[in-house]
Amino acid sequence: MNKKNIVTYSILCVALFIGGMAAHDFLQMHEEDVFKPSATLTKTGRLGDYWQGLKGTSNDSKIFYFDSGKPGATVLLLGGTHPNEPAGFITATVILENVRITKGKAIILPQACESGFTCTDPFEGNPRYFHIKTKSGNRKFRFGSRVANPLDQWPDPLVYTHYPSGSKYSGFESRNLNRSYPGRPDGSFIEQTAYAIMQLIKTGKVDVAFDLHEAAPEIPIINAIVYHEKGEMIALNAVLSLEMEELRYKPELSPKNFRGLSHREWGDNTDVIPFLMETSNPIQGRLRGKTDEELILKGISPRYKEALESGALNIEYLPSGEPLKRRVGRHLAGFKAILEAYNEEYPEKQALLENLPDYSDLMEKGVGAFLN
Amino acid sequence: MNRELIILLGMLATFAVSIFKLKVPAGISLMLAAVVGALIGGEGLPLRHLVEGGFGFLEAILIIATAMIFMKVMEATGALASINAGILKTFYRWPTLLLMVIVVFVMFPGMLTGLSSTCILTTGALVAPVLLAMGMPKLAVGSFIAMAAIFGEVAPPISIPVMIIGGGVDMPYIGFAKPLFLVSFPAAIFTAVFYRYRYIKSFDIEQVLSRLDTTVYHKFGIKLFLPLVFVVIYLVGEISFHDYFPHLGVPLIFMIGALLGIFSGEKFNFLNVSRQALRNAMPVMAILVGVGMFLQILTLTGVRGYLAVKALYLPNEIKYLAALLMPFMGSAYASASVIGVPLVYVFLGKNVLIVTAVLVVMASLGDLMPPPSLLCAYAAQIVKEKNHFKILRKSAVPIAVTMLFGLLILVFSEEIAAVIF
Repeated sequence: MNKKNIVTYSILCVALFIGGMAAHDFLQMHEEDVFKPSATLTKTGRLGDYWQGLKGTSNDSKIFYFDSGKPGATVLLLGGTHPNEPAGFITATVILENVRITKGKAIILPQACESGFTCTDPFEGNPRYFHIKTKSGNRKFRFGSRVANPLDQWPDPLVYTHYPSGSKYSGFESRNLNRSYPGRPDGSFIEQTAYAIMQLIKTGKVDVAFDLHEAAPEIPIINAIVYHEKGEMIALNAVLSLEMEELRYKPELSPKNFRGLSHREWGDNTDVIPFLMETSNPIQGRLRGKTDEELILKGISPRYKEALESGALNIEYLPSGEPLKRRVGRHLAGFKAILEAYNEEYPEKQALLENLPDYSDLMEKGVGAFLN
Repeated sequence: MNRELIILLGMLATFAVSIFKLKVPAGISLMLAAVVGALIGGEGLPLRHLVEGGFGFLEAILIIATAMIFMKVMEATGALASINAGILKTFYRWPTLLLMVIVVFVMFPGMLTGLSSTCILTTGALVAPVLLAMGMPKLAVGSFIAMAAIFGEVAPPISIPVMIIGGGVDMPYIGFAKPLFLVSFPAAIFTAVFYRYRYIKSFDIEQVLSRLDTTVYHKFGIKLFLPLVFVVIYLVGEISFHDYFPHLGVPLIFMIGALLGIFSGEKFNFLNVSRQALRNAMPVMAILVGVGMFLQILTLTGVRGYLAVKALYLPNEIKYLAALLMPFMGSAYASASVIGVPLVYVFLGKNVLIVTAVLVVMASLGDLMPPPSLLCAYAAQIVKEKNHFKILRKSAVPIAVTMLFGLLILVFSEEIAAVIF
């Protein structure tokens, strides 16, 4: 073997070693997160129950059903539409691990786009996991990608054309669940996921639905409740009652020409009244500094503080940080306020969910105190 | 000194020493810089991050590899020479008009795909021999097609950097045709006129044509252009008529086009041509892997945020400087995402469509800039120039004019909006 061949094979061996080590790390992300539902859980299911095309795939996501046995409204709650927005996913987890339902039904999908939990976004330098201390020990949760894993849908088109509106987005968005509603059974992997969720809403006769999100601090629609026009009164009443608790939420009407999003398509294509909520999450922002698990949990970013002080941008960021407990607390408070406003609007068809912590509980005791 | 600044300087110093002193290829130098950045940043040797970043441009790498094979096939069949001869015969009497036609011709694939690289690798590679034959120096040819590729990436109907910024600020891709036309076409026409008068004197058309093989077209007829027609129709069809064109992806479209070449013109050995194409594309593909690792480590260690905040932290009177800094991110997409999104908010109060279009033209110039200098690297390969930084130097005037033009549009965006909307 000559010198050139020795160099070539040595480089190949090093590349294989590095690839093998990285592959081991990437494969670990396919291990599912553990949920410990409250005792009032009625049954569990999978998203594949609503569209067979998803059975056995990464988006055959877990569904948790809570039925009071008493007539009332059916509530749907989605977390993890974007797996890099942990407050949505963790809020859904806190609710399903604590809820006691006394009227109506609740359906909870904590990881709506489970495929996105199996990878992270290139160039973002994000951690794969974050850990929360609970009474049963240290629990590990995945931090994923904004969109589905390319292993499940690839290659991206140069331009993604939304079905059926024809709206155009960058090709990356073709794997974004919240640009794919109402979806279609013969469409892409993510369009089939959106279709299954639409089927869940229709066949489950869902009355009110929530999609929990987070956004970068510089995005205008933040610390907000986005509502479809048919839920306007409910949203505004909820915002008012939250003001009484000194929690400010911006009410945002869902734009009619921004297609593919849950707050628009769920409302237009089904009988449900949809709401989407956003909190301020520094790890999603482009101005953040060092990217690590601490940033997810404590939400302290000196760079955002600096940007805030510069006055150059309108930023929703508290100088003390945007910790996970505050973001989860805001989602819980918003969820409860909207549900209360819904119950007042439709007294003949209520949903009563009890034993859910308040914003102040979260701020005082942290998220771990409310995870089993 | 600031922690992030130390990391950045360490990475840049490693890159400079590696590429200039040790003569290591640019791609490997970028990888080394990323490793050093991670070590200085206290991240150890983060294999997962390096591999993730390295694969971040996988789709672009596949496009480059297959587009290069396609272009080599076009060259081998004789289609390339026939197209060049056709353009020359039609427009040679009016050299200024000829250059304008050529600049729009090079822009065309970028206008349809939103990718600057497709301009250089397809139409850019097609016209380069024509321009060389007309007497334009090879560095000027490389610079001309690189600039045209930038304008193609920006021009409507498809501009991916706009969609990237739109994705960051929740803005749908609606109403951008006029602003994008305004920031791209006048600058493209200026570039054509500038290169015409600066570099092309009189030329003898017969002498130029004699350097191109014009017999192939007579031998095979229209069949010669079958691969090109297929690629253009399918690229346009996938975007504009997606219900009738099943999604294949750009790499597969180029590969099918290349395979069609086997039956369209002169005979050639497909395997040998493919190997030669991939050998040519290898340095550029390595640069992309290196850039991916570099970007990942910049974000991981907080340098990206540091740069973005510093760009914003400018006095109000000179906030326009932040927009002028956009090209220096070294990548259109990175610049659009990292600086473009916050800058849209900085300029709130001005017309958001025009502001975004200007930010996109600034960001797109980043594809010319180091460390990757991606378009310059492509153009250098096409004109057979070893030092791609010379292409960048040659582009200084059109870059400056394009930035100045963009800045004026930004300053007067409200007045312009009142006229065009």
